[in-house]
Amino acid sequence: MQNIAERYTGASVKRSEDPRILTGTGCYVDDVRLPGMLHAAFVRSPSAHARITGVDVTEARKLPGVIAVLTGEELDALTVRGPGAAGMFSAGLPMPSFSVLATDKVRLVGDPVVLVVAESRYLAEDACELVVVDYEELPAVITQEQALDPAGPPIFEDLGSNVLVRSPVATFGDVEGAFARADRVVRAELRQHRHQNVPMECRGVVCSFDLGSGELTVYSATQGVHIARTGFATQLDMPLEKVRVLAGDIGGSFGLKLGAAREDIACAAASRRLGRPIRWIEDRSENLTASGQARDESFEVEAAISNEGHILGLRVKMIIDTGAYPGLGGMLPEAVKGMIPGPYKIGALSFESTAVITNKASYVAYRGPWASETWVRERMIDLIAKELAMEPLEVRLRNVVTRGEPPLQMLTGRSLVGVTSRESLDRIAALVDVEAFRRRQAEARAQGRYLGLGLATYIEAAPGPRTPGGGGGIMGPEQMRLRLEEDGTVTVFTSQMPHGQSHQTTLAQIAADEFGVPFDQVRVVVGDTDVVPMGFGTGGSRSATMAGGVSLHGARALRAKVFEVAAHLFEASPEDMDLAAGAVSVRGVPARAVPLGEIARAAHEPGRVPRDLEGDLEVTAEYDGGEGGWAGGTHAAIVEVDVETGQVRIERYLVAEDCGVLINPAIVEGQVRGGVAQGIGAVLLERSAYDPDSGQYLSSTFMDYLIPTACEIPRIEIEHIETVPLDADVNFRGVGEGGMIIAPPTLCNAIEDALSPMGVRVTEQHLPPCRILELIGAIALDP
Amino acid sequence: MSTFDVELTVNGTPRQGSVEPRRTLADFLREDLGLTGTHLGCEHGVCGACTVLVNGEPARSCLMLAVQARGADILTVEGLANNGVMNPLQQAMWESHGFQCGFCTPGFLMQITALLVENPNPGEEEIREALSGNLCRCTGYESIVNGVLRAAGHDGSPPEPRH
Repeated sequence: MQNIAERYTGASVKRSEDPRILTGTGCYVDDVRLPGMLHAAFVRSPSAHARITGVDVTEARKLPGVIAVLTGEELDALTVRGPGAAGMFSAGLPMPSFSVLATDKVRLVGDPVVLVVAESRYLAEDACELVVVDYEELPAVITQEQALDPAGPPIFEDLGSNVLVRSPVATFGDVEGAFARADRVVRAELRQHRHQNVPMECRGVVCSFDLGSGELTVYSATQGVHIARTGFATQLDMPLEKVRVLAGDIGGSFGLKLGAAREDIACAAASRRLGRPIRWIEDRSENLTASGQARDESFEVEAAISNEGHILGLRVKMIIDTGAYPGLGGMLPEAVKGMIPGPYKIGALSFESTAVITNKASYVAYRGPWASETWVRERMIDLIAKELAMEPLEVRLRNVVTRGEPPLQMLTGRSLVGVTSRESLDRIAALVDVEAFRRRQAEARAQGRYLGLGLATYIEAAPGPRTPGGGGGIMGPEQMRLRLEEDGTVTVFTSQMPHGQSHQTTLAQIAADEFGVPFDQVRVVVGDTDVVPMGFGTGGSRSATMAGGVSLHGARALRAKVFEVAAHLFEASPEDMDLAAGAVSVRGVPARAVPLGEIARAAHEPGRVPRDLEGDLEVTAEYDGGEGGWAGGTHAAIVEVDVETGQVRIERYLVAEDCGVLINPAIVEGQVRGGVAQGIGAVLLERSAYDPDSGQYLSSTFMDYLIPTACEIPRIEIEHIETVPLDADVNFRGVGEGGMIIAPPTLCNAIEDALSPMGVRVTEQHLPPCRILELIGAIALDP
Repeated sequence: MSTFDVELTVNGTPRQGSVEPRRTLADFLREDLGLTGTHLGCEHGVCGACTVLVNGEPARSCLMLAVQARGADILTVEGLANNGVMNPLQQAMWESHGFQCGFCTPGFLMQITALLVENPNPGEEEIREALSGNLCRCTGYESIVNGVLRAAGHDGSPPEPRH
């Protein structure tokens, strides 16, 4: 192990990804070129809900340069019906079966109906315009009310209604007693709007079926090559071993690019039929319309409180709109239920939920998919503070758990070991100076200026505390292979699939420290199902602990194996080996050191070491998450609302976060800032809007779906709190999702505080200027 | 469809091709010349990922036709480094952890290149204004702004927070 002063872990090491990314020499899926490659485009539904009564592809097939036009029916015969990979999120839930492309009916604007394959993307799009699809319009199901109406048209006939799953009331603690005992009850109907991931790189795939070997190779922009491979193999009815998924650089995802999409399957099936490579690169209109959307949940909440601000009990009813093709959305209420008490001493909880299907883009994971638990809870706390005329910080401090004191677990069951919410609240309070702000706020109001302070706190199971009988890891243990090469470098094979998270840097930092080589002598290999270990991939803020942990333990194991081999060469004991400056020696005899590469060569050459050590100098390590632990923190925003224009200016944004030990502070802060920026976008700008009558999608360009620019996002002040360690070795925790989880309530709370002289009560998350002007009564309500 | 010959200079090298009039400059660079460093993020001129310099001026290569670039001098992201050595802007961005996924990166680098020619010492507000036509979904922009400040000769440390 390096001595502390020379450690890479904890330093803002410059990223090894950057030389290629900054010089335009990365390789994204749209950069893949294969001999004979064809180009795909899809004919998509112009209607939200309609029966397909005819598909005429005659003219499209005649266009020179068109190689194939495949209808939904034709592709249905070449593939296995879904849900495909989306089903992994929905075990035990009702799940309709659906074809890869639409056959009987279309269920959202943008539903793919026909696949065109041509010599160029230009020709493929030309041919799409020659396809004639006849539709018989059906009433669109867009709002939750429409979905819950038993008389509405079922989007999937085999389900019989548009209610996907209705979960009965679950209770924790004495709910009736809490409400009977309460001094007051605060009620709110809270609405979280639909918005979406919008990575700068749209989805895409290059599928290449080899007629000779019967093998399918897929170049994919995906968060996990193995999950994608399972999706392709399942829906193409191929053995896993005949499918290889490769991924290179990926232009962001935020939860969108998981598994094999319906369009991906269609292209793979077409490649298998034609025996030629096919590239499909989603365009931005397709991406915004049909790739997937998130959130869109509503809540009825009642909080039983005491006059001292203690939360005695909560009653929560949740409805989630899962969009057209069920996937992740159906199981999310369970996650929200489990997390809704957060780091607070909430006395009792009842929770019930309904998941509905609508004619909108399907629900996908988006950075902290369950985040509505935090938004609802942190919004309610501010409403409680308003009811009691207390400082919101004070209500939080009265209810938040204190580390090491009871309760030691959440009302819904999980251990709260190591939670530092109170510490982060204290830190933010010190940074903001709430009393000084209140004085400034009062002075500003006297001048007709509206300043507001909002804060909110959260915890995230990243990976979560150790559970009885298992490790802290969600989604299973993490594996890694590590190999010493003949040039003395270490190669790390990981199932992580970084798409901006910089794992090629961070995992190398950890392995370099633990093994004892310079950072630039560790190579991190990702994105090839033939060589990287089985695993989920990147998501759920699990990489820091799970992949960081297995990198540490794997490097330790590889070092031990190298010492074992070296000990044979020296005819000494492995315990007496020492590694310094890229060479192994018997401790105290550095003059006879053997370079690492020479040790790898010795293992490769027959007869130099015992048979059981011959071969690749390689280990396979597995890590279960160890003691795990919570990530979390408190954010604060100071805003000024212009009551003439409805514009919100963020004067100051502060973060006190705890992701345990920082692997690379610059990368951690990049994750935090990026998440906060998306949260700011969600509140002030972004909305996936549908016409409630026709079901038309209204946000299909960047002129309509606004994401923040450099002018909307302020500098973000970040303080790190490092929890007392829980694990002997691994105390890194995930930080990818936190910013997006906690920024929306932080900002909503600040805006409500700014507008409190007007009596504004914020019960929705989307607060663009026009909505703020409505709330303060400056313009009439949009009916 | 009839084709037209296009001769132009890309990153200092004379290049030529024969294109349909509808072919965008971005597709010509990426597909015909193999310069895939320029990225397409929206194909309707908003995100700025495809920005290249045309005779020194930033242009959205998704909104410009290849035939419009006849005779032009084009600079793409591949033309910034010199014999594999990153230029000072690229170095500054590396030092500042400017980018994450890298997809918006070529457009930002070209836009910033033009900015620093026009204004070698921009202040933070000027930088943010100049970059407001380029979208990044990963970073929250602060690291990019820091990279520009560093490239312009500041030490790259963030300024004092505004209170």
